[in-house]
Amino acid sequence: MNELIKKAVALLESDSVQVIIGYAEGTGTRTRAIFITRTADCENLIFDSRCVQNLAVYLTKSEIKKLGKPAIVAPIPVLRSILQLAVENQITENDLVVLGITPQSELVDFESFAAIEAFLSTHQIVIEEKYQETIREIKAMPVTERFAYWVKELEPCFKCYACRAACPLCYCTRCTVDNNQPQWISVASHPLGNLEWHIMRAMHLAGRCTDCEACYNACPMSIPIHLLTKNMLQDVTENFGTYGPSLDKLNTLSSFKPDDKESFIR
Amino acid sequence: MSKIGVFICHCGENINATVDCARVAKTAGELEGVEYSIDYKYMCSDPGQTLIKQAIKEKGLTGVVVGSCSPRMHEPTFRKACQEAGLNPFMCEMANLREHCSWVHDKNEATTQKAIDLVRTLVEKVKLNKPLYSIKVPVTKTALVIGGGIAGIQASLDIANAGHQVILVEKDPSIGGHMSQLSETFPTLDCSQCILTPRMVEVAQHPNIKLLTYAELEKLEGSIGNFKATIRKKAKSIDENLCNGCGTCTTKCPTKKIPSEFNTGLGTRTAIYVPFPQAVPNKPVIDKENCSYYQKGKCKVCEKVCPTGAIRFDQEDELVEIEVGAVVIATGFNIMQPSEFPEYGYGKYKDVITGLQFERLASASGPTLGEIRRPSDGKIPEKIVFVACAGSRDPAKGIPYCSKICCMYTAKHAMLYQHKVHHGKSYIFYMDIRAAGKNYEEFVRRAIVDDEVNYIRGRVSKIYEENGKLIVRGVDTLLNAKPVEIEADMVVLASAAIANPGAEELAQKMHVSYDSYHFFSEAHPKLKPVETNTAGIFLAGACQAPKDIPETVSQASGAASKAIILFSKDELSRDPLIAVVNRSPAPVFSTCVGCFMCASACPYQAIGEELITNRQGKVIKKVAKVNPGLCQGCGTCVAFCRSKSIDIQGYSNEQMCAEVVALLNND
Repeated sequence: MNELIKKAVALLESDSVQVIIGYAEGTGTRTRAIFITRTADCENLIFDSRCVQNLAVYLTKSEIKKLGKPAIVAPIPVLRSILQLAVENQITENDLVVLGITPQSELVDFESFAAIEAFLSTHQIVIEEKYQETIREIKAMPVTERFAYWVKELEPCFKCYACRAACPLCYCTRCTVDNNQPQWISVASHPLGNLEWHIMRAMHLAGRCTDCEACYNACPMSIPIHLLTKNMLQDVTENFGTYGPSLDKLNTLSSFKPDDKESFIR
Repeated sequence: MSKIGVFICHCGENINATVDCARVAKTAGELEGVEYSIDYKYMCSDPGQTLIKQAIKEKGLTGVVVGSCSPRMHEPTFRKACQEAGLNPFMCEMANLREHCSWVHDKNEATTQKAIDLVRTLVEKVKLNKPLYSIKVPVTKTALVIGGGIAGIQASLDIANAGHQVILVEKDPSIGGHMSQLSETFPTLDCSQCILTPRMVEVAQHPNIKLLTYAELEKLEGSIGNFKATIRKKAKSIDENLCNGCGTCTTKCPTKKIPSEFNTGLGTRTAIYVPFPQAVPNKPVIDKENCSYYQKGKCKVCEKVCPTGAIRFDQEDELVEIEVGAVVIATGFNIMQPSEFPEYGYGKYKDVITGLQFERLASASGPTLGEIRRPSDGKIPEKIVFVACAGSRDPAKGIPYCSKICCMYTAKHAMLYQHKVHHGKSYIFYMDIRAAGKNYEEFVRRAIVDDEVNYIRGRVSKIYEENGKLIVRGVDTLLNAKPVEIEADMVVLASAAIANPGAEELAQKMHVSYDSYHFFSEAHPKLKPVETNTAGIFLAGACQAPKDIPETVSQASGAASKAIILFSKDELSRDPLIAVVNRSPAPVFSTCVGCFMCASACPYQAIGEELITNRQGKVIKKVAKVNPGLCQGCGTCVAFCRSKSIDIQGYSNEQMCAEVVALLNND
């Protein structure tokens, strides 16, 4: 990705940005996030199929904000997150430079968030058939069996909150789970506490999640928590129309349209 | 350390007959933090309130729980009592032991236990209550009246005469509504237009009334005292300042065959038209749907003949924003089209008409200049049949309710017919005669006795044409229930009064509730008949339910007086039970992250933004801010806030959690 490195060097040299958020080689075969402030370090930038971490998570972190204006290496999942963060008033166009990367690994410039939205409209979120199959199977279970399924799946969780740390949309200054006045969510890693945490996490992403799978990739116990958000995404699409962040649309679940389905109200 | 006082009311026998009040008081007295607990026969009585006041003073209570009726009934009573004793009124809570307990359960142990649980949860809540202070909101002393029928006219005049500004919005080109279409009015038979038009003129001339005709409500935001309404002024295609109402355009317009809405299709009008001669304002509008120029791009005759050059083909709809403190809804009703009842043959036979069409035939300003002539051939009908309840009181095919006005107007129609066609014969098929009202029964008697109208108690099963006559088949259920057949020249159907089309949409725009028939709902069927569930929005006339003119006028004056009461003070005092965004010490300042999901979820547009700055004025953080004047305390934002940064004062997350925990720790 010589082109990417050249671009990064140019951005830093011209002082258009003060930090480049990108991918670099990590331990073993893994990649890691890198925050480059000196042109000399730009040669460490890489991009390949191993780079799946969602870098947008760093855009709202105060430690990174302190480094100055960033340029961010942004494959499609990152682009979606950037747009959703914009919808949620967390970033503005002047806050960052987006180094977009197409699925063909080509570098693409975005003049504005609107340009990102236009680009993404040709790259809609698609839930893979294997996941749809699993979701169908889970939904077909009787309630008690489904409950038991999730209790078992969530059992290994020891509340490391890596899912929360990896999610670009979990940017709250104080997470509800950390709130102890009153303590709504039990912090202990017992079945009830785990269930409460994961239900809350999924619900807080309803209508917002852009299906980047960063939570699942971050989970040290490989708990399929992304099934929850994927299912939610399907439900929102079915009930309220198209899905995915859009700048001129209000958030799906906090806005009302007269033609919204009301079949769930009895 | 909390010192809570618990006061259990027997409500006479209402609570005590089912709940063991003495035991509730005794058990509550043993709860942690409860300093004093007592039961009494009527806590709302003067001695009952004195009990509370004395306990506050003598025991130094920090909070009060009254276990009695619904807070809707006596919360103000008890809060005021607490205030008089020096306790902040919002340190007083009510446990609803009547509606939520004694009235809905049988007398048994579980019922008393539930009462104890209800009191216990409130004790836990009150421990976390904080003193709160009323919010003062300025009042915009302008009323918006929607609908320019007799209800809207009366309400506007009353409010304007009290010295306040009124904006009257009417969707049609003229005010007047249904009343302007009527011929004579029961029970006095005075001419409808003769009594209405002076009021219409008064509206037009009143310095405090701004009249917006051919206009509709587009959007209503804000709340009591401070609404912001957006009105769509539909393009009239004329310059109202230049038009002098000479009427040349309406006589020269070549498109003349448009069925006149005012004459219920019995007459015609032109494309540029004034609905009726006494219209207010008496200035025409162009009906774009039927105008040759708008449809085909050719004509412009009106523009050529207009002496003042007032025609504006390029005029567009205009949106005006107005600020008002109160809204009176007076959008009226409509009549059900009897074509839904094929057995009556309406739409198939020209001489089967509705009651409203008969009004036009009987009206001096109508298509026949007041002569009763049938629509098909203009002949004077010798025999006429009136069918009451044509759709009303018919749960199977029509509407289940009684349209209320038909008994009286049908008697009036028959009477008018007999007065105009002396040799004619009139018949009325009816279910019951409902003539409750001042001089109403006497009026119906007069029709039967003096004017010899034939009342037949029974229903009509079929109307069909044979040899130029309308054969009306029915049954006379009196006199051994005989089938009846009448050869009539004309039939008048008293079709049901229904809600206006679009009433549901309008209700949603204004956040007022409506019933299953789409009539707007009053806040209380007996005690709040003109209020809606949304504070500051009042109802007048048939938009609430079918009504006759006297009733409509009284309700309109009632609604107007509610608006005037609202305008009698410069400031409104509101309960401080509203949402607030939290604040925390630096460097966090507030746990709000400024995603503004709350703002899009808020049904009252009460959430804006606030910039937190440092001493140098540099913006550190952008957070949500609740406008206390607009917030209704519904709590939607609280449910939406992921970080729990927004809370309802008096119903905080902490208090709710304490209540839930108290219920769960039930041992």
